[in-house]
Amino acid sequence: MTPESPNAENIRNGYLFITAFTFAIFLVVEALLLVFIVRYRRRKRPRFEDGADVHGATKVELAWTALPVVLLFAIAAFIFVELPGIKDIPKATAGQEQLDIKVTGRQFYWQFEYPNGAAAIDHMRAPAGVPVRLEVVSPDSDVIHSWWIPALGGKIDAIPGTTNETWFKASKTGTYSGQCAELCGLEHARMLATVEVMPREAFDAWLTQRKTEQDAGSGELGKEEWQGVCAKCHGLGGQGGIGPRIAGAPTLVDPTALAQLVRNGRRTMPAVGSGWTNQQIAALAAYLKESPPSGG
Amino acid sequence: MAVRTETAPAWQRGKVASWLVTTDHKRIGILYIWSALVFFCLAGLMALVFRIQLSQANADVLSPQHYNELITIHGTAMIFLVVVPLLAGFANYLVPLMIGAADVAFPRLNALSYWLFALGGAILMLSFFAAGGAGQAGWTLYPPLSEHQPGSGIDLQILALHALTLSSLAGAINFLVTIHNMRALGMTWMRMPLFVWSIELFAVLLMAILPVLAAGLTLLLLDRGISFGPWDVQTHFFDPAKGGAPLLYQHAFWFFGHPEVYVMVLPAFGIISEVLPVFARKPVFGYKAIAASTVAIGFFSMLVWAHHMFTVGLPYSLQAFFMIASMIIAVPTGIKIFNWLATLWRGNLHFDTPLLFALGFLSIFVIGGLTGIYLAAFPIDWQVHDSYFVVAHFHYTLFGGVMFAIFAGLFYWWPKMFGRTLSQRLGKWQFWTLFVGFNLAFFPQFLVGLEGMPRRVYTYTNESWEGYNLASTIGSYVMGIAILLFVVNVFRTSRRGMRVGNDPWQANTLEWYTTSPPPPHNFDDLPPITSARPLYDLRRRLRGERGERAPA
Repeated sequence: MTPESPNAENIRNGYLFITAFTFAIFLVVEALLLVFIVRYRRRKRPRFEDGADVHGATKVELAWTALPVVLLFAIAAFIFVELPGIKDIPKATAGQEQLDIKVTGRQFYWQFEYPNGAAAIDHMRAPAGVPVRLEVVSPDSDVIHSWWIPALGGKIDAIPGTTNETWFKASKTGTYSGQCAELCGLEHARMLATVEVMPREAFDAWLTQRKTEQDAGSGELGKEEWQGVCAKCHGLGGQGGIGPRIAGAPTLVDPTALAQLVRNGRRTMPAVGSGWTNQQIAALAAYLKESPPSGG
Repeated sequence: MAVRTETAPAWQRGKVASWLVTTDHKRIGILYIWSALVFFCLAGLMALVFRIQLSQANADVLSPQHYNELITIHGTAMIFLVVVPLLAGFANYLVPLMIGAADVAFPRLNALSYWLFALGGAILMLSFFAAGGAGQAGWTLYPPLSEHQPGSGIDLQILALHALTLSSLAGAINFLVTIHNMRALGMTWMRMPLFVWSIELFAVLLMAILPVLAAGLTLLLLDRGISFGPWDVQTHFFDPAKGGAPLLYQHAFWFFGHPEVYVMVLPAFGIISEVLPVFARKPVFGYKAIAASTVAIGFFSMLVWAHHMFTVGLPYSLQAFFMIASMIIAVPTGIKIFNWLATLWRGNLHFDTPLLFALGFLSIFVIGGLTGIYLAAFPIDWQVHDSYFVVAHFHYTLFGGVMFAIFAGLFYWWPKMFGRTLSQRLGKWQFWTLFVGFNLAFFPQFLVGLEGMPRRVYTYTNESWEGYNLASTIGSYVMGIAILLFVVNVFRTSRRGMRVGNDPWQANTLEWYTTSPPPPHNFDDLPPITSARPLYDLRRRLRGERGERAPA
């Protein structure tokens, strides 16, 4: 895993710094252990002959109490030096305004909301070279999730009733993947997320297009919702999984019934679309009308 | 107590009945150990099943529900039904013998402890058959997830934990009263075996933390809703929609959960401190430092709980506090490691199975301890938390550390408990198989965790994680073979094991003064206790009386 954001990079530096110490201590302990095992094995001595009558040595013991204190002090100091570069979002500069994205963790998908109201599911797009501040939440009716894209920094939990924040600033374009890191239910393992870092202009163009399409209740969003929200339990073709088979179900082509179902849930199905805008639901309905699930 | 067996009514004297009604600390200790070993095999088999599911990407062996049930019960069982009761078993068997007492202070309470444990264990295992399946929220039972699970799996898990909590609490009180009041004449605190020191702290910690766990679990149970006849109780302590706070539970849980780690680790340390000197033929290096570090670890273990919560968004100042407190624990732990190494120095090492396991413990536990530093450093933890790095870390401490120490203890005290030694040859085979299998199973998990694999996922799509996981799975089966060797060894020994006298290892502590196995009343008389090694002193004096030269 290569870090692609300053916070992830600083975490890696801290990791390597600690490794220098831990590896040295590891080598010393294992080497001493091996040397003692070889050097002080019984050989031809009688089985129960006493070894050296040594009960301790206060000075030596104080030394190996003090030394770890010094090492740990060094490690803690290094962490505090690195900390601002990990927790603080870099100041925005001219032409590189900070972008705020709201990240909502839900069973079992990630929803991203951009400042212009555009939404996306599971696949976040972000501009290169721009500090991106993430506000990470989970609805009150949901459970705890944890946002984690290893290349873009550490994880932060999405906790119902709490607002947390984190950030990244990726200079290289590319797609970075991660997934929910807090057990959140049956499809926890399928709660994947990708962040596609794209050139600034391409991102701006996409964001405008997404917003326009969304207002019209159409476009890619509907497909993202089907794949990210519905298909994880009902299968990509609606063939059924931990949820029942829904291919061909009349609800899918009845926008009113569909809205009612995703907003309120039914029996063990959570209200996956509670809080969705009418446009978000329209986008799903439009997608299902256009390409109804094949049944597997 | 010695006369109880003679006066027991006839129905209590049967082969089975006598075990069911026993209040003898030795028999209760053995009951604990047998039961825990059975649970160990069950919880281990669960791991072997879900390791198949994880051996390749996108596998379809287990449903998500079954996977979550298995990891939940595997974790809960390994901690509450295996490691803690195994150590409680050793403590039951050994503490009265080591301090020269005839039994624990409250023998009937002791029996209650065991039967509550058996009850809790049965409830947990049978919860697989509950409506909606067993608990699926992990051993940590975090709400809201644990509150949302339908059916009664979670409720039974809570009930089992309540029974186990009461069991441990009664046990802890018993150990404390016993250690404080029933030490033989001459056994001052500074002459007490280091294993007894570790049980002292084991008991103090349990008494401090178990009520907090019980409170947290009770709130969880009330939040899930219970009915008493016409009354329905439904609270919202952890429900954010009604003004509750899910994080409150995490604080309660980890206030218990982290010291619980030391509840398991300290007695393992105690076993190592007993085994090493006997097989190095030396006194333990720095008795006072080891005893003091036990107390220090116990104290600091109560101040580190929120290092399990570095990703929930705590204020940075709090995270810094918990980082420093967690790092401080490394100091007394380091003292122990170096003192044990120094115990080997200039010794006369004879590699019987107990020593092999103790050395294995040392070599593996170092990795478990050092990797803890990454988790304590909170910004690093933001990256590795809840990843397979953590899974590897705690298996290095709890399996590579504690279970290896427990095997050292089993091979060491087996002759005392049953009058026969386990086969050394099979034991050595078991050691090497377990050592290789363990490292093969868990070392790759550090790497795959650093690559970004989170824990508790029933499957993964990233094919570059497959190699690590396959290695882990193979390693887990090699460990399975090692455990099978142990089971074979136990059965073989029960029929053909070599019979031994009172003190086959020429050891130091009082339990070796009496017969193997000891009589119900433990001791007819006791040697004078003038140091932490009364039996060593006794042998020396007898040699002097016979006019033999003291060995160099």
